[in-house]
Amino acid sequence: MPDARDRILGEIRRIFADELEFTGPVEPHHVLATDLELDSMGALVLAVGLEDRFRVALAEGDAAAVVTVADLVALVERAVAAAADGGEPRPEGGRTAR
Amino acid sequence: MQGKAREPARGTAVDSAPPHPRIRAVGRALPEHYADQETLIAAFRDAWAGAHFNVERLEELHRAVQVSGRHLALPLAAYRDLRSFAQRNDAWTAAAVNLGETAVREALRRAGLAPADVGHLFFVSTTGIATPSIDARLVNRLGLAPGVRRSPLFGLGCAGGAAGVARAADYLRAWPEQVAVVLAVELCSLTLQREDVSIPNIISSGLFGDGAAAVVLAGGARDAADGSLAPAVVATGSVFYPDTERVMGWDIVESGFKVVLSAKVPEVVRTHVRADVDGFLAGHGLARADIRHWIAHTGGPRVLEAFESALELPEGALARSWTSLRQTGNLSSASVLFVLGELLDSGEGEAGDNGLLLAMGPGFGAELVLLRW
Repeated sequence: MPDARDRILGEIRRIFADELEFTGPVEPHHVLATDLELDSMGALVLAVGLEDRFRVALAEGDAAAVVTVADLVALVERAVAAAADGGEPRPEGGRTAR
Repeated sequence: MQGKAREPARGTAVDSAPPHPRIRAVGRALPEHYADQETLIAAFRDAWAGAHFNVERLEELHRAVQVSGRHLALPLAAYRDLRSFAQRNDAWTAAAVNLGETAVREALRRAGLAPADVGHLFFVSTTGIATPSIDARLVNRLGLAPGVRRSPLFGLGCAGGAAGVARAADYLRAWPEQVAVVLAVELCSLTLQREDVSIPNIISSGLFGDGAAAVVLAGGARDAADGSLAPAVVATGSVFYPDTERVMGWDIVESGFKVVLSAKVPEVVRTHVRADVDGFLAGHGLARADIRHWIAHTGGPRVLEAFESALELPEGALARSWTSLRQTGNLSSASVLFVLGELLDSGEGEAGDNGLLLAMGPGFGAELVLLRW
């Protein structure tokens, strides 16, 4: 799903630029923690932004395997596909008002 | 931000000459209203759910700051009625005077001094503004002498308490017969923008609390009435980090102060604090191992961990800061003064001990105060 990947990558780039005030390029091969200087709060901003945009819940356990931007794109892509297949779109007890 | 650790610039440290100003007492005051963290989370949940998909993540974030609850200037239900900056600031002014009066009276009582003994009142805050300033209103409330000097200090954020002690010590070097009081009042709850559902604001709403602390300092020419051991302010230091204006601060919006809180705060601490502390101490013939008492601002779990790792502190060195964080949250400028008060109450300071009081805040920058018992 190249379109979905492009949309996810585009959102990641938007969050880095608009919300994390990161001025450099954001490419799939970049390592989040080092190349993009992503720390714990930045990771949280990124996760919440992606969850809001794509209406999925990203599990903490899955996040441990995410090293690069491409890993993150793949994680979100899987979560979107699972939600579309009728999987758990959000965590138990999570609420949304929009 | 400028990422490289630098040697502290020359001239950042201000030495004192004996007899040094001494810290006579600390008074602390917390608002009567209190809410535990789960109650606060429940109060925020609906606003978060209106904007964010995964609310549970945000609830966990509030738990992760390791704060058990906060004292609040107003009853929790009253915050719904605060919509404009004017409403928030009016509430801040009324509460700041009341809480400030309590803190100053307590500090003076502990020091065995009267309001009429105060020669200079420094008022520190970053959570509200008033003219006449809160210190002026306290001259009336407390019955301070008509000749009292007043210095309101707005905008130093979490570094304001340490900076206030340093500026008061500067004053007492010039006027060693006098008494100065530093009062820090922070009512962070009254700055909260409920409509701001950004992660920095959500973290702030989980971390910051309300409180006031007053420190009584006496010039070196004044003997303590009871002959008790009081830590001397031996030296003070300020370090400014160029081009870090967006690390922390306020954006002023129609409804008040909207928090700027970068993810980079712990990183800034890790990058700078070791070289800054080492340089400051070396200027006085000391090393970190010579410091027995660490009085660190309770910025949050990440900031305290950054202090511990960057300064290679022994286990338990920041125990009072951790306890204060859990009990009251981050009280901005007042926090480090609460920790100082706890240390003085413990009676652990012995003649010859060195202590370092340190805090960082918007600018971004650090304030360092070297104490000796």
